Amino acid sequence: MQIAEYLLSLLQSGLGNLAAYLAAHVLLCLVPAFFMAGALSALVPKESVTRFLGRTAPKYISYPAAAAGGFVLAVCSCTVMPLFSGIYRKGAGLGPAVTFLFVGPAINILALTYSGVALGADIAIARLLLSMIFGIGIGLIMALIFSRSDAAHEQAAADPFAGRASVGGRVWLFMGLLLALLLAGTLQVGLLTDPFVQLQLPLAGVERFQALLNQWVPFDATRGEEGVTVQGVVLIALLASIGLTATRGLGKVDEGYNRWTPVALGLTALTLIVASLRMPVTAGGAELQIGGRTVAVALILGGLVLAARRFEAYELQEWLFETWRFVKQIFPLLVAGVFAIGALRPLIRPEWIESLAGQNTVVANFVAVLFGVVMYFPTLVEVPIARLFLDLGMHRGPLLAYLMADPELSLQSVLITSKIIGRTKALVYVAWVALFSTLAGLLFGAWVDGANGWLIIGGAILGLALLALVLHRLAAFRAAPAVTSGKTSHV
Amino acid sequence: MTLHIKILGGGCANCDRLEKHAKAAVEQLGVDATFEKTGDYAEYERYGLLATPGLVVNDKLVAAGRVPAPSQIVTLLANALTAEDQ
Repeated sequence: MQIAEYLLSLLQSGLGNLAAYLAAHVLLCLVPAFFMAGALSALVPKESVTRFLGRTAPKYISYPAAAAGGFVLAVCSCTVMPLFSGIYRKGAGLGPAVTFLFVGPAINILALTYSGVALGADIAIARLLLSMIFGIGIGLIMALIFSRSDAAHEQAAADPFAGRASVGGRVWLFMGLLLALLLAGTLQVGLLTDPFVQLQLPLAGVERFQALLNQWVPFDATRGEEGVTVQGVVLIALLASIGLTATRGLGKVDEGYNRWTPVALGLTALTLIVASLRMPVTAGGAELQIGGRTVAVALILGGLVLAARRFEAYELQEWLFETWRFVKQIFPLLVAGVFAIGALRPLIRPEWIESLAGQNTVVANFVAVLFGVVMYFPTLVEVPIARLFLDLGMHRGPLLAYLMADPELSLQSVLITSKIIGRTKALVYVAWVALFSTLAGLLFGAWVDGANGWLIIGGAILGLALLALVLHRLAAFRAAPAVTSGKTSHV
Repeated sequence: MTLHIKILGGGCANCDRLEKHAKAAVEQLGVDATFEKTGDYAEYERYGLLATPGLVVNDKLVAAGRVPAPSQIVTLLANALTAEDQ
């Protein structure tokens, strides 16, 4: 009997976590982010970035392009590996290829916005900045260590990086509007959050419904848990109806619009509007609060419809298809992951996490990195996992270290990487990633604890430069005897 | 004359779609064609493909990193046919 009750409590915890994630935090961030990912994949030509990653591109262009290019190119894992291989063998070489591989997961629009909303903007920005700096660092180091074998790849006939394309004004406008939608839905500023219209809805029974929900999914606010609201139930119902209609409406849109397409899109717009409202339950009904967020979301949605008219039907269909493909690929695993994390949560004692990684120490950061390397979670699931650790008392420094290591390194990705660049290079790469992720966590943790941010970034860049200098000297030193021995053998 | 069509990219949804579109285009044009599909990185490299899926017609990469519209694929195949005639 007690076991059954215990299992029930785990189930409730899982459901509570799921409902809180689906309804409360992430809807206004993830829905626009998925549409943005689809647009990046379908509407932005890859050549607009790959043109900077060719063999002839100078280093000061190829490294930053490799670091920033992941925003466009790394949306789908199926482009990352072929591109990595292409940059390494036929493009700018090992260094930029490694930079691209390292920064990609951090600069991915879905991961970026999701971790920003669920973990805090500081973590998202730190992850982005530090992985760009360290990604370029690791790339330069790898290029220096393996400078001789890299030269062998320089000759090739066809140049796949010769293709050129630019991004047109209509694409910029469209992407800008999607970004605005994302920001309007997630920014926590008074202009957006303060309600200016308050309507009393005389809905009898809402109060009792809320009480029932609290009974079904009990929550402990002191532990950072959240319950399910009536509005949350409405949103989950809307999400389910999108799922049902989009399977046909968006999943088959590549064969042309069908009658489910406008239904699915309409429901998506409605969901965003409802999510932007606030509906606290009051005595004898509920209060509907309309604020700047709702107005902004509605206006931007209207703008998107107008901007979409400047595209050809096929382009829009491709965009919707790609969006739904990402949702299909990522969302079910995310839902399962969030549920599992919620169910496991009562089993993990905060003391464990606190003693392991409650402080910003070298050991704590390294343990976090190690956990990230050993464990493999589906795309985006690392974010709710990190949230769990955060709630249980993990320091934000080790948390960042974990977030940097987990998507970058998994057994599977290491295996593919070593197939492309060879086992030695792959192992050296893994070691540098582990080292730099630990370092990134330590630095960010120090900033959280009050150290000066500019000093930290400056120190990191200076340290990297020193390291590069030492390695450069070493490479020169190793190359020199080889030349002399070559000469003597000729004599 | 026969078209030799190769789809570069194994296992991804868009590679399957490209194959489907290409087969429909061949049917529409009413020509003979051989189909091949590969997920081999050495092949990607040979044709200079950076992002899957890629469409190779008569040993030439004609589309890369995207699934062209069905009408575009018909044009691409028709162009390959006229190139062969000359």
